Amino acid sequence: MSSPAGRPPVWSYWLVLPLFMVFWGLFAWHLESPLLPGPLQVLATLMEEARGGQLWFHLGTTLARVAVAFTLAMLLGTLIGIAMGRSRTANALFDPMLVLLLNLPALVTIILMYVWFGLVEAAAVMAVVINKIPNVAVTVREGARSLDYRLEQMATVYGFTRWQRLREVWVPQLFPYLMAATRGGLSLIWKIVLVVELLGRSSGVGFQLHLAFQVFDVATILAYSLAFIAVVQLIELGLLQPVERRANRWRQPEQAHA
Amino acid sequence: MLELRIRGRDYAQPVLGEVFATIKRGDRICLLGPSGIGKTTLINAIAGLDHSMPAGAVVGRETLRVGYLFQEHRLLPWRSLKANLRLVGASDEEAEHLLQQVGLAGYGHYLPDQLSLGMARRAALARCLAVKPDLLLLDEPFASLDPVMAGDLKQLIAGILDANPDMAMICVTHDSGDAELLANRLWYLDGKPARLQWDDRVVESGAVRKLLEHLRRLDRVGS
Repeated sequence: MSSPAGRPPVWSYWLVLPLFMVFWGLFAWHLESPLLPGPLQVLATLMEEARGGQLWFHLGTTLARVAVAFTLAMLLGTLIGIAMGRSRTANALFDPMLVLLLNLPALVTIILMYVWFGLVEAAAVMAVVINKIPNVAVTVREGARSLDYRLEQMATVYGFTRWQRLREVWVPQLFPYLMAATRGGLSLIWKIVLVVELLGRSSGVGFQLHLAFQVFDVATILAYSLAFIAVVQLIELGLLQPVERRANRWRQPEQAHA
Repeated sequence: MLELRIRGRDYAQPVLGEVFATIKRGDRICLLGPSGIGKTTLINAIAGLDHSMPAGAVVGRETLRVGYLFQEHRLLPWRSLKANLRLVGASDEEAEHLLQQVGLAGYGHYLPDQLSLGMARRAALARCLAVKPDLLLLDEPFASLDPVMAGDLKQLIAGILDANPDMAMICVTHDSGDAELLANRLWYLDGKPARLQWDDRVVESGAVRKLLEHLRRLDRVGS
């Protein structure tokens, strides 16, 4: 029915994940340790945090940071990537920097930003952006290199403006690459934002994890993690997949005439 | 209105040798020549797509509006026909009118890849006309169409040329029959690097025959 490499059927999610819950519950029940609370206990903690408003505040704060960092990183990374894919000079200029940045541990950037600019919001967001730009640029560069020269010629003959060329000719061709950068970008940014919060902010999911860690409150750690996973999945299903479906509609249009 | 001063030696690995010619309003040129000799290279140069051409090789293009019918339709596949026409400056009504003119009335909301080859080529022709061109460049407009569709398109283009006597056209083709119907001037490109071996106005209907005889003589010399 489906290829081995493709997405598995829906029922596998409804089978594997509940089974995992059951095993987790049994194991926790058997251990009876505060270091491994059962699923029900985690759920109770989650409800409590939600009712007190804590969960929403910290989740919202983290989301806002992710949104700002993501937008900036995608914008700058896309511009740099297009420039690198289209111009040898730009590529020669930026490529060595990319090699440097791609291999720089995220933690180092975060620490440096905090050391240089203090424990402020701008430093936190900047650290995430700097970590993410190279990935976006590298992905978009591949796309910019494979732009169809035939459409370029068409755009030249018909005198497209820079903006028209970007919007009508390049972005639709770059779209799969932009989606790949978005997916990879979101999952990376989520993780870095948590570290940023853990190290130097007094709000956000990362900060809550930090507090819970100090008192070994595993139930809270798992509660926030679950909430987090749920939000990420919601964005994937509710935002990314519909956008992708809509944007890819032209690829397999029904034939008007065979 | 357009002057070609292409000197092959001006750039590396020239496909084209010396090509000197003047194109006037109302010139309907059919460009013939063996496959792979550089016919598309020449009209790309005229369209300003050959970046290896030195400045001054094509004089007068800046002031011209050029419509180019490529071998593929090269419409934006993610935009409807109407949106494709609007992108090059046609208004809504103009787009409707142009589509009607090329026999695609009512297809404005279709995507290019939903159309057959012949329809897509006509849609691309509509885009050429949407810029109100001074110079129409056609790169093998009848290739890979079935004879009926090719015949229809030929009549359509002939009609457009007759309705716009000031418009100049250069049409790359392999078929001397196309030349007889469409052209009032013949170019024959041959050699390595390629030169215009023949540039003749079709004053009387015998010019195409004269060219063919000339080519046959060349063949005999060659063999």
